[in-house]
Amino acid sequence: MRGFELYDATTVKEAVDLLGKYSGRTVKVVGGGSDIVGGVMKDWVQGKGMPLPEVLIDITTIKDIVGIKTDGGGTTIGAATTLSDIIDNKDLVSKLPVLTNAALSVASPLIRNFGTLGGNINQRPRCWFFRGEDFNCYKKGGDFCYAVTGDNRYHAIIGGELCYIVHPSDTSTALLALNASAKIAGTGGERTVAFDDYFTGPRVDVLRENVLKPNEFMTHVTIPNPASGTKFGWTKLKDRQVYDFALISVAAVFTVSGGNWQDGRITVGGVSPVPYRAKVVEDFLKGKDIKATAKQAAAQIRTVARPMSLNSYKVDLAQGLIERTILDALG
Amino acid sequence: MAQIEAVRVVQDAAYAASLSDQDWYALAQDPTWQEMVSEQSEMVAGVIAQYGNKLPGGGQNSAPAELPVFRPFQVIGTDIARIQGYGIVTNTGTYTENLRMAGMLFMRTLRSRYPHAKITSIDTSEAEKIPGVRKILHRGNLPEEYKDVFLGSALPTRFLFNEEVFEVGAPIAVIAADSEHIGDVAIRAIKVQYEVLPAALDMLEAMKSSTPKQFTSNLDGTTIAVTAPLVRGDPTSAKADVVVDNVARKSTEQHVALELTNSLSYWDGDKLNMTYTNQHGHGTRSGLSQALKIPQNKVRVLQTGYLGSGYGYRSGIDLSEVHAAILSKLTGRPIKNNYTRYEDFVTRTHRPEFRNEMKLGVNRDGTISFGIFKVIANVGAQRAGAANGAWVNMQNLYKIPNLRLEAVDVMTNSYKSGPYRCVSHPNGTFALETTMDKAAYAINMDPIEFRLKNLNEVGNPDTKRPFSNIGIRDCITGVQTAINWKNVWHAPKAKQVRPGVYHGVGMAAHLCSHGAGSNPSTGQVIINSDGSVQAVSGTTDIGSGQRTNMLMIAAEALGVPLSTITITPYIDTDNTTDTGGTNGSRMTNTGGRGMYEAGVDARNQVLKYGADKFNSDFANAKADTRVTAADLDMGPDGIVFIKNDPKKTLNLAAIVQFKATSIIGKSDYLWPTTWEQVAVAAHAAEVEVDTVTGTVKITRYVAAHDVGKAMNPFSVRQQVEGGVVMATGAVLTEELLIDKATGLPLNPNLLDYRPLSIKDAPLAEVVIVEKPKAYGTFGGHGLGEPPMGPPAPTIVNAVYNAVGVWVTEMPLTRDKLLAALKASN
Repeated sequence: MRGFELYDATTVKEAVDLLGKYSGRTVKVVGGGSDIVGGVMKDWVQGKGMPLPEVLIDITTIKDIVGIKTDGGGTTIGAATTLSDIIDNKDLVSKLPVLTNAALSVASPLIRNFGTLGGNINQRPRCWFFRGEDFNCYKKGGDFCYAVTGDNRYHAIIGGELCYIVHPSDTSTALLALNASAKIAGTGGERTVAFDDYFTGPRVDVLRENVLKPNEFMTHVTIPNPASGTKFGWTKLKDRQVYDFALISVAAVFTVSGGNWQDGRITVGGVSPVPYRAKVVEDFLKGKDIKATAKQAAAQIRTVARPMSLNSYKVDLAQGLIERTILDALG
Repeated sequence: MAQIEAVRVVQDAAYAASLSDQDWYALAQDPTWQEMVSEQSEMVAGVIAQYGNKLPGGGQNSAPAELPVFRPFQVIGTDIARIQGYGIVTNTGTYTENLRMAGMLFMRTLRSRYPHAKITSIDTSEAEKIPGVRKILHRGNLPEEYKDVFLGSALPTRFLFNEEVFEVGAPIAVIAADSEHIGDVAIRAIKVQYEVLPAALDMLEAMKSSTPKQFTSNLDGTTIAVTAPLVRGDPTSAKADVVVDNVARKSTEQHVALELTNSLSYWDGDKLNMTYTNQHGHGTRSGLSQALKIPQNKVRVLQTGYLGSGYGYRSGIDLSEVHAAILSKLTGRPIKNNYTRYEDFVTRTHRPEFRNEMKLGVNRDGTISFGIFKVIANVGAQRAGAANGAWVNMQNLYKIPNLRLEAVDVMTNSYKSGPYRCVSHPNGTFALETTMDKAAYAINMDPIEFRLKNLNEVGNPDTKRPFSNIGIRDCITGVQTAINWKNVWHAPKAKQVRPGVYHGVGMAAHLCSHGAGSNPSTGQVIINSDGSVQAVSGTTDIGSGQRTNMLMIAAEALGVPLSTITITPYIDTDNTTDTGGTNGSRMTNTGGRGMYEAGVDARNQVLKYGADKFNSDFANAKADTRVTAADLDMGPDGIVFIKNDPKKTLNLAAIVQFKATSIIGKSDYLWPTTWEQVAVAAHAAEVEVDTVTGTVKITRYVAAHDVGKAMNPFSVRQQVEGGVVMATGAVLTEELLIDKATGLPLNPNLLDYRPLSIKDAPLAEVVIVEKPKAYGTFGGHGLGEPPMGPPAPTIVNAVYNAVGVWVTEMPLTRDKLLAALKASN
């Protein structure tokens, strides 16, 4: 690994000031560090559009962005809260089980003890071409996507263009289903962005996966209180049960009236460069008897899927798991 | 002494015929040869049959040894914890990775990013300017004396730094720096120009005549060797009621040893000292001695006895170890060389990719008429052999009156093959045992009954060498009972347990040539003047308890309590003798026989000097009584007594003090070649297969192994449990991939390679079968590798039983399973 400078920030303002102070160099904020340090920097994942960080600002030392608050208005989680703290929070387990189950499905206990919510949401993708030092791909500022003609068994089946990564974050898939928003701080001030608008595909900017600018970082996630009686479902299919990313994940959050779909969201991870909201499935279910329609509704995912040479099996998996997750949530 | 190309000896008849007597002697000392003898006996069998009398110890052919009658066991057969246990669980053990020395520099290696290229220039000027860079070594400044040094066998040749590189990861330059981080930056500051050459990346493509040759050869493309077929009976004209075809393929696997390969080297004057993560201290010494052109006694190799596993790929040295030794010599500083996980994955050896084309003719009465089996192995960027190693169980496990075995080894610019808890036997078992199940279902016969009907329990049908007390039938019936086969086995796809989820059960039998004993079985047992005992053995412990076994065998053979005898966890080549490498699962018999013979020798000396001591005491007391060794015995407490006057006793201290110098028992045992020494096993598993997700869940796993005599049943169970976990990884998830366009590795890391986690791994229930072997140390037979064989066919057969489709391409991933299910609907 190449050497770097590390600064501890104790307030959001201090972190923002440090981002401004080192803006002439490659500067990144760091949470648990399992991706940026243990992944990107250790493995020399770099390119013309992705220089290795020279300065890291530790934000886990900022008290204001660690912790979970729930009240009548909703839930606010600090971006530097560890995944273990989210899993262990009894309020969250009962109120937002789709989030705590998603957090529980991440990596391993060791990583969850260090890994933060902000880090999980904003980690870089796991595409093996992107992560391979010798593949100079679009996402690192190169001029090629090796997945198009290469081994794309784990790549995108929906919404890939130019670059075919899948978004790696389990908590993002759950938070998108919960209609969460991100609070962002930066040298230009603070702003709030709904998760619906937070993630960006490769056509917008192939070098990044979200709206964060180099001088900004996520401070909090806010989640509105779900209507009472809301059904929650979470499924994550992975090739091994500890320390693996989602082959397919599905989050289902919906309300029911007399067995019929009232309102809600179905989101899918592992299929697209962004956490994917399966509106085709939601629309199909609208007002219908869920038990009777789930199979047909799940099949709607096929209408938007554009698999690559080696990953059409993921379309079948997505369809099967959307159906299962909806029915599991329904109970 | 000229360097002999060991692999070429068995693959190139003209080369073998050209060797002088001196060359044959050199070959016998060659670590690659020694590894092949223990790990790939099938490969060297032909050469030994033809030239055995030229190989030291190779011409031994004494009468079959009988299993000696022994005293009731005191130590053997009891559960004993590892001598390193405390150090392992507290991490206070001396792992090589933790070693540091004052003034130590770190080595980093710049490696090729092309699978086949010529290096046209290397510019190190920028790297040299980086503070903390102490020395850069490459082919442009390699000292003259090392320019002709290579490892392995030609062609292609692996020099210390090749001008023409044949693989991604081939070394181009090495750096000694003050820290690994400086080294990391510096290797990336070296500018290399390559002339990229056409690469052979696909095994079947590489075999074609249209593929450009990369070395001189009469064979098509980059084919390395076509083994002369083994033919029995008349397989081509034999008839059968049903003919079953099976193409069984498997991908490249890597060992994923927890401790990365690493070493610490320094020179003391003109003597090299190297502590190195290896499985054969004396083989490492021979390799370094050859490469550095210095005598063996100018190289001291230490292996600490704390090793994050070996699995076969650490038998000897690789180029990096020679680089480290030279860098240490040139800088005058100790060199620490820690491989990265990428380097361990990519640049060391692998269980190769195999393709097996199987045709089995069976009759409706359950007899086998003929088998025609062809094995193709992708041995990667080197001369190596792997294909005919898969023959052993095809040749020996069942009665097949008409048989034809073919084998082809193909070089590609990809991952190099080598031992991975065996090289080829698991592949042979995978191919044969899925074929056997297909045949059983084709003639509507219970797969277990079909196997029991056809078992060969006599010996090798071709060489006529006999098995000794083979336990294959006990293993099969053992798992049959343990898994309750008669109640759980059913017709394919007959048992749905939840919507879309099906139950299945499958089994497989296994035979391989590992666990045998072979030369050199040396060792010493020393009794000190206070009566305490030291066992001295060159056996390297690779994490699976070999030296605990050595201790137990020495204690039993000498006949003293375990509490009075010690063995070091480490070995030091300066004060031990070679017992061969810890490969081929052979240490229970090879190192163990050394301990056994040394213990028996020491015991005989104890009784002899005991008699002298008694007689001296009698003479001093003016008594007329005199005794000989035959009149004495030693109890399990280590007390010597006169058999017809047991109150007259001596302890070991008294005897050694009387003798005035330590008692040293030793072994000069040479192995008979009379027996076909084979390991046998049978496994069975129940699975649940989810037809929506393609997930295969192993719900129960049982494994029976004939170990002759379990030295340490605790350790036997651990070996089987660990082997099943390891093998299951390759069945379900593990395969080391390359990008077909660039030849670059895709997943050389623990995340993407996906070894199983604790939540995925099955825990095998172990059935220990003990049928003592005439040749075995206390009747024992080795066990390290055999558990790797049966899991693949066991699980594939169980999946067929569950959902009625055959997926005979490992790993059995969900995409393949879902595709097969789709095709069957």
